[in-house]
Amino acid sequence: MTVAATAPKGQVYDRGYRPYEGKRGGRGAVVRALWIASVRRALGLRRSWRQKLLPWGLLVVVSIPAIVAVGIAYVTRNTPGRDFHFISYQEYVGVSSALLLFVAVTAPDIMCPDRRQRVLPLILSRPLTGLDYAFAKVSAIFTIVFAFGFLPQVVLFVGRMLVSDSALDYFKGHLDILWKVPLTVAVLALYYALLGTAAAAMTTRRVVAAVTFLGTMLVSSVVAHAVVEDQAARHSLLTLVNLLALPLQLRDVIFEGHISIDSPLSGEPAAALLALVVYLAVIATCAAVLAYRYRWIER
Amino acid sequence: MFRTSHLTKHYGSVAALEDLSVEVPSGRVGLVGANGAGKTTMFRLLLGLTRPTAGTVEIDGRRVDSDPVGIRARVGYMPEHDCLPADQSAADLVAGLGELSGLPARDARQRASDVLNLVGLDEARFRPMGGFSTGMKQRVKLAQAIVADPTLVLLDEPTAGLDPTGREEMLGLVARLGEFGISAVMATHLLDDVQKVCDHVVMLDGGRLVVAGPTESLLEAKTGTVVVEVDGSTRALVAALEQHGFSSTLQDGHLEVAVGDAGDDSLDVIRDAVAELRLPLTRLSTRVTSLDDVFVGKASHQKEEQS
Repeated sequence: MTVAATAPKGQVYDRGYRPYEGKRGGRGAVVRALWIASVRRALGLRRSWRQKLLPWGLLVVVSIPAIVAVGIAYVTRNTPGRDFHFISYQEYVGVSSALLLFVAVTAPDIMCPDRRQRVLPLILSRPLTGLDYAFAKVSAIFTIVFAFGFLPQVVLFVGRMLVSDSALDYFKGHLDILWKVPLTVAVLALYYALLGTAAAAMTTRRVVAAVTFLGTMLVSSVVAHAVVEDQAARHSLLTLVNLLALPLQLRDVIFEGHISIDSPLSGEPAAALLALVVYLAVIATCAAVLAYRYRWIER
Repeated sequence: MFRTSHLTKHYGSVAALEDLSVEVPSGRVGLVGANGAGKTTMFRLLLGLTRPTAGTVEIDGRRVDSDPVGIRARVGYMPEHDCLPADQSAADLVAGLGELSGLPARDARQRASDVLNLVGLDEARFRPMGGFSTGMKQRVKLAQAIVADPTLVLLDEPTAGLDPTGREEMLGLVARLGEFGISAVMATHLLDDVQKVCDHVVMLDGGRLVVAGPTESLLEAKTGTVVVEVDGSTRALVAALEQHGFSSTLQDGHLEVAVGDAGDDSLDVIRDAVAELRLPLTRLSTRVTSLDDVFVGKASHQKEEQS
């Protein structure tokens, strides 16, 4: 085959610089972009398989109780007197420490490198504020913890509904679950997200942030147990210093309307209100730490 | 492009900038001064990342403190320090920062590709930046600063740590920014760099303005010194020049003749004096001003006035 002498040959073009005349998003779009990038990083997307192990392994772990519960309900669906109790919706909230471990690992992972590798000045020289940055990071952790806390509950609810004698009756009989579960999971997710990011904001080293977060939770729990055990009467408001159990106290209030009778707080006057106040105080303190750390780039 | 009015910034008892009033037109501007002169503080104030203790800053007629986020949407920033994650590719970083400048994800990725190609990192843009040389890292930093097509870009020591070739290439890129409609402020203590690419200079010393103006007009300032080099003894020439009222000193084998305001006429007088003495003339020129001369002269004059 011959090629015509006039056939076009390869050419090199200097593309040069082209001014950008497309759409520009405002501050909201920038925060959203940072939120998406943070969620992506926390889930290990566009990263090596090692980075994907923890988040997706966690999803499997937190889903196991739901799958087992639905499986048991399915297997025993024709068994007389089959009201086999494995786990309730209330118990499912905060049942696994996997979420706690996830926050301890991922909150530092999406925040500490920005300071350690000094990327923060590049980010904060964009059209957003330090508070926007902190908000996007907290929202990213909140989103994942909420999703990983809520999705297994959806599996549990839908599974039980489908294996029940009447799906419609089951749905009508559990309408309260439709608001109680998302609310309690949101309470837990916000709490974990703010505590995790506040700990991560204090240091450039991921391991220090993780140990600080887990240590604060565990030490407060141990201290609270020790103090309460030491009292003649086991019921004590000092239980409120147990940061690990605090969101679960509110979970019980949301599901039962009062502090659980199994809680050392049970019987204390205005215990539910006090638990809410302490919860809000912890949230406000974490938000203040984040605001202080990210208000100005020069800090 | 930007204007400051009585701009002052104190960090506790330390004055980083003191009563700085300057108006700078569009183009390429050199912000020069020694370490601690206030260059980085100036950038923070231009980006709205810190508030002035007193005074105001305006960019394109808009006060920075009234809308710092809006200002940052159209201003790019290239920091001096190393700020590139080692495990990330240049394409991912620049595209991500493009999105954080408000560009839609698809546009940001396309722009990242374009600007990385422009700075000469077309092939390397998908490699982790941990293996990049200093020159490549500087190029990535420049690319991220212009990815969102800013009207103004702030470059903090863009040639720091570069070898002579890399330095020339970086200065070439900075010089090209004007073609793209991007004004640039280049903070540096290397006056040669400024002289090569900047058409306007702002000189700071100890947080105070030393001098500001077009580079050409600063360089055109007469030094009042003529350099004369002849073969043979200069003793007779020194005496002859003294008769014409010009004092001279021998430096590095040539005479530096102080001619004051005599201008170009002094060259004729000196030439004639050399000819009368029948000396072989090898060099006769007005001493060229450099920005170093301007800076040193103005800074020392300012210090004398203050003391």
